[in-house]
Amino acid sequence: MNAIFVIAKNTFREVIRDRILYSLVVFALLLVLLSLALGQLSFDENIRLSANFGFTGIHISAMALAVFIGSTLVAKEIEKQTILTLLARPISRAQFIMGKALGLMAVVNVVVLSLGLILSVFLYFLNFNFQFEFLIALVGILFEAAILLSVALFFGSFARPIMTVVFTVAVFLLGHWVESLGYFIKRSESEFFKVTATAVQYVIPDLERMNWRSAPVYAVSVPLAEVAKAAGWTLGWIMFLVAATVLIFRRRDFV
Amino acid sequence: MTSSENVLEVRGLRKSYRSPMTRKKVEALKGVSFNIQAGTITGFLGANGAGKTTSIKCLLELAFADAGETVWFGKTGLSNEAKSKIGFLPERPYFYEYLTGSEFLRFYGQISGRIAPRDLETRVKQLLERVGLSHAGERPLRGYSKGMLQRIGIAQALIHRPEFVILDEPMTGLDPDGRHEVREIIQEVAAQGTAVFFSSHLLPDAESLCERLVILKKGELIFNGRTDALLSDLAQTWQLIWTAPGESGVKQLELSSLAEVQQRIDGLRKAGCEIRNVSMKRASLEEVFVRMAFDPKNEPSSPEAGR
Repeated sequence: MNAIFVIAKNTFREVIRDRILYSLVVFALLLVLLSLALGQLSFDENIRLSANFGFTGIHISAMALAVFIGSTLVAKEIEKQTILTLLARPISRAQFIMGKALGLMAVVNVVVLSLGLILSVFLYFLNFNFQFEFLIALVGILFEAAILLSVALFFGSFARPIMTVVFTVAVFLLGHWVESLGYFIKRSESEFFKVTATAVQYVIPDLERMNWRSAPVYAVSVPLAEVAKAAGWTLGWIMFLVAATVLIFRRRDFV
Repeated sequence: MTSSENVLEVRGLRKSYRSPMTRKKVEALKGVSFNIQAGTITGFLGANGAGKTTSIKCLLELAFADAGETVWFGKTGLSNEAKSKIGFLPERPYFYEYLTGSEFLRFYGQISGRIAPRDLETRVKQLLERVGLSHAGERPLRGYSKGMLQRIGIAQALIHRPEFVILDEPMTGLDPDGRHEVREIIQEVAAQGTAVFFSSHLLPDAESLCERLVILKKGELIFNGRTDALLSDLAQTWQLIWTAPGESGVKQLELSSLAEVQQRIDGLRKAGCEIRNVSMKRASLEEVFVRMAFDPKNEPSSPEAGR
């Protein structure tokens, strides 16, 4: 446990000191600022428009962070051969993977919560009606980022970084579309499509499940049972993906 | 652990991989066996591509051997307990450039699991001073020169006071002063009872430092034994100087065995030549190594091969 924590702490430091993070944070801040400007374009929906756009900005930034940094996290250690001195120490490959994932997840948490705080300050001055769902929407973004990060780590254990980014972005896009797939499965007459689409439903995580971003905007309540269920489901996906990553990674040669 | 005990026994290590270009199977290690004794400095020699780095990676399970066995500190296999007693510096090390020298050593000290947190700071300071980097401890590694990186790399290998240190080309990229300093560190560490196993292309350094040598050629072991035994058995050549009848100048010849010298003297005397001088010349490790590496008749026999 100590080894995982030490690696996570070092990964946190690595990402925090990376210029890419700051580019992403600046991009996110610009989106949040743009949300205020866009709000002014509407007469009666200005607060909702600002909130909606603000959450979208935080969502995109968190996903970009998980995909782009997650895809290179392990590859960089292999390419620069820093992994050699690490794995020669009394740590297992599983501990290494878990430490890297936890470290990046900690950064995603800090970024999402900080951007959420900035957005809430802006919205406060617009007299936004704050509800508990504001926090739930941020938690949904964190759940989704955790799954995407695990997907990036999984592909990163055998593919090159550029392919890892492509695969992970594909999972992100499919993950937001997989919910609608059920409708097409019911309507389709092709057996082949039905079988393939059902298989896709099983192998691609349904990322719309954690999309609670419109709840605080339209003052819709989210039952806590739904959040708890999504939390368990997210944890299940993370455990499955990390286990698969470790399985591939444990016999990999670093030549 | 007494000095005659083995910290590492390697038995029949084999490793092959597919060439990335041709997809042809390349046998990198062909059943390599050797042992490292506690408290000794052992040099690991071989030409480029002989299998030194592959061997080290297989020993530390950074690459997995196809066959063979390792016994670390008397126990089969590389356990976490064994790893905590090993320090390792890879070839051409790249380190976390966003860390400062002190942070870097602290990080490796923490994951070694062998240093109490209250002792870590003292150890970091002590090592920075020992490798001559006290002035750069708070500077990020991205600003370090190649020599400084090599020195901080050696410090990370020693941070947890290991019982066995593996250094892959520790003197590469260092200027003469740096090499001298690394030599001193290796001697100091060995004097404290730590076994040192280092690969090098710099044979004068290996000759002056190593009690024992392990030499590979094309993935096969061609020598495993004491340096002095290798030098006394293979490092002698004989120089014969004579004058021929009716000629004014001297002629000379270098011969590899005493029997050859006797035979040649008999022949020259019969031809009326005058023997002027017969002397023994001691070859350096470099000369012996080149002879072993390029002469097919030296492959793979040696006085202690496989011992």
